[in-house]
Amino acid sequence: MSLMTMILKMSEGLGKTCAIFFLTLLFSLPLGMIVALLRMSRNKIVSAVTRFVITVLRGTPLMLQLLAVTYGPYYLFRVNVSRNKLIPVVIAFAINYAAYFAEIYRGGIESIPVGQYEAATVLGYSRLQTFMRIILPQVVKRIMPSVTNEVVTLVKDTSIAFTVSYQEMFTIGKQIANSQTSFLPFIVAGVFYYLFNLIVDRVMGRIEKSLDYYK
Amino acid sequence: MPENKAKESSAILEIRGLSKSFGENHVLKDISLSVKPGNVVSIIGPSGSGKSTLLRCASFLETAGGGDILYDGMYAVKEGVYASRNDLNRFRTLFGMVFQNFNLFPHYSVMKNICEPPVLHGRDREEVREKAEELLKKMGLEGKENAYPCQLSGGQQQRVAIARALALDPEILYFDEPTSALDPELTGEVLKVIRQLADDHMTMVVVTHEMPFARAVSNHVVFMDRGFIVEEGHPEEVFGNPQKDRTKQFLTNYKQ
Repeated sequence: MSLMTMILKMSEGLGKTCAIFFLTLLFSLPLGMIVALLRMSRNKIVSAVTRFVITVLRGTPLMLQLLAVTYGPYYLFRVNVSRNKLIPVVIAFAINYAAYFAEIYRGGIESIPVGQYEAATVLGYSRLQTFMRIILPQVVKRIMPSVTNEVVTLVKDTSIAFTVSYQEMFTIGKQIANSQTSFLPFIVAGVFYYLFNLIVDRVMGRIEKSLDYYK
Repeated sequence: MPENKAKESSAILEIRGLSKSFGENHVLKDISLSVKPGNVVSIIGPSGSGKSTLLRCASFLETAGGGDILYDGMYAVKEGVYASRNDLNRFRTLFGMVFQNFNLFPHYSVMKNICEPPVLHGRDREEVREKAEELLKKMGLEGKENAYPCQLSGGQQQRVAIARALALDPEILYFDEPTSALDPELTGEVLKVIRQLADDHMTMVVVTHEMPFARAVSNHVVFMDRGFIVEEGHPEEVFGNPQKDRTKQFLTNYKQ
């Protein structure tokens, strides 16, 4: 198999790689905020339970979580595993990444000086207005570098979908590598991920820059 | 507003027997204070004497343990029990607060810092804007409308914070050590603005370490120590002829 055919075959899986990437972000970014707010809840039980869930999600391999979400339903309830693996993949990824984002959000929220809340309260902002208008925009700016980190990791983590044979780019590459007994597909995959992250870096850099108008 | 109007009282703010403790630490003990319209009250005293806590209780940023807080003769706090959240929100419209650290919103321009609160209160956008421009002029901040707080000096930031508080037309304005984060030169420009407000008969309570300012601008001075009001009265009396040893000691130490 020529290098060109290899690249073409593997790029057929790029759509699915992108699907995992964008859908995971779409769900995990807001879900992370909900988890962060639960984690910071004044209700001790809610916050303790959330804390425990976060330690499990961060303390066990994403690969394991992916296997559990994909095949768990079959072993537990004898439900047939759906042919469309995208759904369990996105569920596992979104939940896992939400746990990381939640901790990033929490760090950001807790870093906002208490004086911002006090000023807003005295000026008559409701709690929701204070959060949405005063706190959240400042949090977004502060956490951008950490979020970029996670997003870059996510690009590479999409390859973990090969464990459930979801036909994304890396899975195809691994299959070619096996059938051709060649290491070349892995190098192609590496280049693909690198280029993908080059774009991610550009986009995130631009967002960070757009928030540079204040300190 | 709550119906339970107290005895006829022309004071905007009236505090009676206020107490507050953080655990075992009693920071306010039986504090009573009355501020009439047009009055400027200065609160002086050593660090940790409870001056700031008093202001923070009056502005509901701290929860008092006991006593009464009345605005315009209406109970916001009665014997340590707070009015409903809605009522407290309405009381909040009566006062403004200027903080030691300014607490401007860094992601908002000067104009938005000043205009957003009244607009959220449902006031007309155009009128609010005009008023904001007027206030900026008064604060000597013309041309700074589109600047961000990080582009301003501390003195300018504090004047924006004063304008922001004034834009809501408060009946009474609180200053919590408004110049403690500023160098002497910037302190001067902020004190000048506060002095101007006093000349316009703005009702104010100022917690400050600036003794000459307190003496010159206020018509009532309160000296606090260890959670008590030790001595109070006309500035000339308190500064010129203090009665209590603790006051004398404090003022002597200050002069040195």
